[in-house]
Amino acid sequence: MSRIQLQGITRRFGPVTAVDDVWLDIADGEFLVLLGPSGCGKSTLLRLIAGLLPPTEGRLWLDDTDLTHVPPQQRDLAMVFQSYALYPHLSVARNIGFPLRARKWPRAEIRAKVAEVAATLGLTALLDRKPKELSGGQRQRVALGRALVRDPGAFLLDEPLSNLDAKLRTGTRAEIAELHRSLGTTMVYVTHDQVEAMTMATRIALLDEGRLAQLGTPSEVYDRPASVFAATFLGSPAMNILDATVRSADGSLAAHGKGIELSLGIDAVLPDRPVRLGVRPEHLTFAPAGGRGIHAVVTAVENLGSEEVVQCLAGEGRIAVRGPRPLGVSAGDAVTLTARPEHLHLFDSASGRRLTWQPESVPASV
Amino acid sequence: MVSGTFVEVAPPLRAREAGVVPASRESWWTRARRIAPPYLYLTPAVVLLVVWTYQPLAQTFVLSLHSWNLVPGTPMEEVGIANYERLLGTPELGRSVWRTVVVILGMLPFTVVIPVLVALLTRRVRGRAQGVYRALVFAPMLVAPVAGAAVWQWLLDPSAGAVNRVLGTDVNWLNTTGTAQLSIIVITGWHVAGFAVLVVTAGLTGINPDYAAAAQVDGASRSQVTRWITLPLLSPTLAFLVLMTVLLSAQWTFPLIDTLTQGGPVGSTTNIYYLLWEYGFRHHDAGLAAAAGVLFFAGFIVVAALLTRLAERLSHHDD
Repeated sequence: MSRIQLQGITRRFGPVTAVDDVWLDIADGEFLVLLGPSGCGKSTLLRLIAGLLPPTEGRLWLDDTDLTHVPPQQRDLAMVFQSYALYPHLSVARNIGFPLRARKWPRAEIRAKVAEVAATLGLTALLDRKPKELSGGQRQRVALGRALVRDPGAFLLDEPLSNLDAKLRTGTRAEIAELHRSLGTTMVYVTHDQVEAMTMATRIALLDEGRLAQLGTPSEVYDRPASVFAATFLGSPAMNILDATVRSADGSLAAHGKGIELSLGIDAVLPDRPVRLGVRPEHLTFAPAGGRGIHAVVTAVENLGSEEVVQCLAGEGRIAVRGPRPLGVSAGDAVTLTARPEHLHLFDSASGRRLTWQPESVPASV
Repeated sequence: MVSGTFVEVAPPLRAREAGVVPASRESWWTRARRIAPPYLYLTPAVVLLVVWTYQPLAQTFVLSLHSWNLVPGTPMEEVGIANYERLLGTPELGRSVWRTVVVILGMLPFTVVIPVLVALLTRRVRGRAQGVYRALVFAPMLVAPVAGAAVWQWLLDPSAGAVNRVLGTDVNWLNTTGTAQLSIIVITGWHVAGFAVLVVTAGLTGINPDYAAAAQVDGASRSQVTRWITLPLLSPTLAFLVLMTVLLSAQWTFPLIDTLTQGGPVGSTTNIYYLLWEYGFRHHDAGLAAAAGVLFFAGFIVVAALLTRLAERLSHHDD
């Protein structure tokens, strides 16, 4: 059992606030991905959990123990570093066995346990080598082995795949996810790669400038982004964001803008409200010219093999459309794009936070 | 019915099949201009090395085969290897070599043990205090050896010296056979320890902090991290310091010996360099001094080669 709770964790470096009042409750057995652009504080947050940095404010709990002031040696966590941090003077076997040696296990037991872990990771032939004699993928496995060798309360992984080439990354991604399924241990995984986050996480904690921007399952974060930041961080190409005004016409709401007229599918009468309109590239479709929708001009067509991305210019904004190849348009074409109302996202024009429609309960007229 | 056949797609056309393009020949002038710059940059350093190091070395070797009393105008007399025979026949040589070994062993605590301890401890001092602390440790290095020696002579004075007063002893430090050597070692150690601390500190900053962090998460205590991670990774620095101590201790002590004891009492502080200096400039036996110089040079080359090899086998490259 290992549930990790972060209560208002804050870390400042001089005037810079790297982690700003983060509240998280990581359930036992969860695969939580800390996602965000570089410099968002995700690695700092992981180091705070590991105990390598003390928090400026806030408390940290592992189950019912207050870990805030417990040194890293006594936290029962295993960590895989981005640099792997394999001890360069020790052989693979001694690297993997290091946590057991520190816990004063007998030599014979260490050897047996190291052999077992090495076998599961396919490292048996490499046990006598030094880290510098290993390839990137092998080093990554040794780092994983060093974490796996004792059964820790939770695994902390700091961008473990970022130093691998694309092909190896896909394979290792699946292996780590499989490892999590078979061990059932809590994992906290830091990455800036949205594909890793979407494919591996049970929940994603999206961080922006040290603050928690959104917390939810991959589908929640992708389908209902909480802010313009979340909307544009996930997805490739990123969600199209356009300035628009919500206006009522004939008793229903529609988003209006420069060359934009899209129905929101809500029957209501409201005063005009400026918003930021978001729509994912894969949700845009081509409509007959002259109809309602977004009027745009195609500037380029990118071939992704199975799909095409069409770059368009609508008013001053750029719009990307993604769909199966061939989409049948070419640069210079004037097109009209539409999207279903449920695929439109509205964000407040000032704060950037998501706007949801809440129908008023109509008082029953007697 | 339509008939047809499968045709294999042709591989991309290679330029070689289309026509061989011969590589153009470089003229000797462009070749020279391409190759020359590194050697030109090296020339000034090489010239200085030859003039100030290799030429005197060669001259010393030539001098070691002659008998000469250092007086300009008197002829040098060729004596073959007689100087070497004479040198190896004196009991003083063996004694001075042994005293040099004692000095080296006595210096190791000051150049390796104490600096490692100080550097490890000062790592925890943060901010401006760290700079002040390091400056304090380094300061003795900036004192001229002869000036330092004068102050120490006064401190070690048998009747009114501060050292005797503090220790409550009545020792004539510089004029007793056992304590004279000890005094020389301690004063030299005091001089160079600050420099060694700086070297160790630089070595420590060169170690990726991720290793210590990983070891901590792996459950290693502070002392285990030091013993199992920091010290092994520091081994190249330590090997360098040992090498420096072995090769240079006798030289570091020279100004102190010359000011404080003049090799005495009863030759108890006469190490190999002081012996060499005595032969040359007290007995005016240039040939014998040169022979000693050549011998020590060869000896130190062997020692240095052995130590460098040992260091390479011990040190782990952090990549």
